[in-house]
Amino acid sequence: MGSKAWLVEDESAREMLDRVLTERPFLLLPPLHRVPLRVGNIVEIVGPSPSAKTHILIQAAITCILPRQWKGVNYGGLGHLAMFLDLDCRFDISRFSDLLNHRIMEAANGSSSEVDCQIKESEAQNATTKPYNEELFASCMRRFLYIRCYDSSEFLATLKTLHYRLQKERETHGVNVHVLLIDSIGAFHWIDRGSSSFSLEGDTRKSLHLQSVTETVVQEIRKLLLVHPMLVMATKAAVLGNRYSMNDSKRNYRTWSAKDNLHSRNVTSSDQQVPYREYMPAVWQSLITHRILVRTTDADFVNGEHQNVSTYLSEWLLPPLNSVDKFIVRDTGVFVLS
Amino acid sequence: MAPLKNLETEYPIIDSNFQNFCASHGIFSVEDFLIHDLYMLAAFAEQNVSSERLKEGITQILSIIDDMHQPWLNGMELLEDAKRNKHFLPTGIQGVDLLLGGGIRVGQLTELVGPSASGKTQVCLQTASNVARNYMMLYLDTGNSFSPQRIAYFLGKTNELASAQAKNQILQKVMSNILCHSVFDIFAMFDVLHQLESNLRCQERGGGCRIRLLIVDSISLLIAPVLGGTSTRGRALMASAGYLLKKLAHQHNLAVLVINHTVGSEGGTSKPALGDSWKSIPHSRLLLSCDRGSNVYNVSILKHPSMVCILLERIFSLSV
Repeated sequence: MGSKAWLVEDESAREMLDRVLTERPFLLLPPLHRVPLRVGNIVEIVGPSPSAKTHILIQAAITCILPRQWKGVNYGGLGHLAMFLDLDCRFDISRFSDLLNHRIMEAANGSSSEVDCQIKESEAQNATTKPYNEELFASCMRRFLYIRCYDSSEFLATLKTLHYRLQKERETHGVNVHVLLIDSIGAFHWIDRGSSSFSLEGDTRKSLHLQSVTETVVQEIRKLLLVHPMLVMATKAAVLGNRYSMNDSKRNYRTWSAKDNLHSRNVTSSDQQVPYREYMPAVWQSLITHRILVRTTDADFVNGEHQNVSTYLSEWLLPPLNSVDKFIVRDTGVFVLS
Repeated sequence: MAPLKNLETEYPIIDSNFQNFCASHGIFSVEDFLIHDLYMLAAFAEQNVSSERLKEGITQILSIIDDMHQPWLNGMELLEDAKRNKHFLPTGIQGVDLLLGGGIRVGQLTELVGPSASGKTQVCLQTASNVARNYMMLYLDTGNSFSPQRIAYFLGKTNELASAQAKNQILQKVMSNILCHSVFDIFAMFDVLHQLESNLRCQERGGGCRIRLLIVDSISLLIAPVLGGTSTRGRALMASAGYLLKKLAHQHNLAVLVINHTVGSEGGTSKPALGDSWKSIPHSRLLLSCDRGSNVYNVSILKHPSMVCILLERIFSLSV
């Protein structure tokens, strides 16, 4: 009978868990390896400039576009598409392709450090090098989708048409987009604040100012994630608070005007609690499910004979873990020290 | 923000019925569509009499919005563009060129920071004289520091072995390749840059001699007066200027070099001016300093998209 058919089970819980874990795996990306991330999570990477935030995004993108296995070699990637929304307009594709190339070489050779140093010297004068494995390199690069936005209107236009773009890319490549990377979310903050926020032609017309833009961005991302489950990672440049005594952090804070309080969370008067100044409106802060803070330290790490690279610290704020990890950026990507 | 009725001639689906429907929801132009929920609008259109036509209109608007953003590219296409167009422009100063791996990168915004009298303008003039041998360039001068005599001097130094006639030819060519504008406030700079943008767009279709380098000496003199105080408009202007320069660099394959000065910070050290909001705008930041009394200059990297080694410095001397 028709109604009995309703009660027949589709799959057991164990089968469902197996299926979900294969289709939507947990990602452990250094330096965010302490908290496993999966689709539907929205991660915010906060830090002063410069603090390797874009490198973390690049690391995630490379892990996503590398295949799991190819011609017998295990690359440990996902084989999906990665989308990069460049709001800072500072992305360097040569650096990205170098990192991808080194990852491929490392997986194929099994060792990492020797190949970097020798190649770096010869590469210094030459912006282009022959990729190690052209076919794999090309297929990975084609899975990396990139767009620049020079202002908020372009950003909103991109988000509005992203649904159709995602469908089209799924048809072309046969795989889904797994990560959506935004660099950096506060890029147009001052420009949007500078545009007028008084309403035009009465109350019915909204104008393009910070609050309305952020609300629309959040709304579009939520709707997109319903239909296209993805892992969203966004960087945000922030000024560190008094808790971290660095040269840049001690400055005169402007007095918050009444209008600002509408837009952002009230910063507590004792700045010791707040590690950085939050400037994104509350509607964006409510979208975030995970947050990590990165910053540089003054300590150097000796990486090979002639290189001193700067060390970075990362600390999870949401969920708040009381541990601080140290990492450096090498030619194969982010490398966790402790 | 053109009103919707201007689109009617090109897209007849956006007729007065559609415009009235949109106006009833507070939408009067295409930009208003960006901050409205289009699915809700489609749901409202369902309840209307001419729902099919209205939904077709919304789909048409979506395809217009699709033209409002930059094109999507994949990694291979980006890399092709970088290899073909985004090469290095040598500055002619050996230390700087070695440090940057070839010179100033086309498509990127490079910032040169230094205290006063540290040789920033000299680096600009030397770069200008070197690049202008082969390409045209635009020099935006904010403090009357551009000096044709100095350019001639740099050219003379590097061409010591050439004959007088050859030297003269090179001098003529270089001088005609340098366009110098004096700008004294940020709005004049916006004017010049917008004019440059429309000229470059026309030139793209017509061919002809292209500008390859843009130097702003110094951008901090233009921005610093509008910053400060409680108004946010100064920072909005600064961010807009940064984005306009990056857009020009990337879309029209220019190398952009801007000069910034330093201010004191606590502890007696100095830091670059223009504050934290400017920090994340340039691609690369170089710090220039010089020992008083000698002509030995020191340049180091503060930030670079590909180099994470912080102790890269080069010492060079500018011929004085």
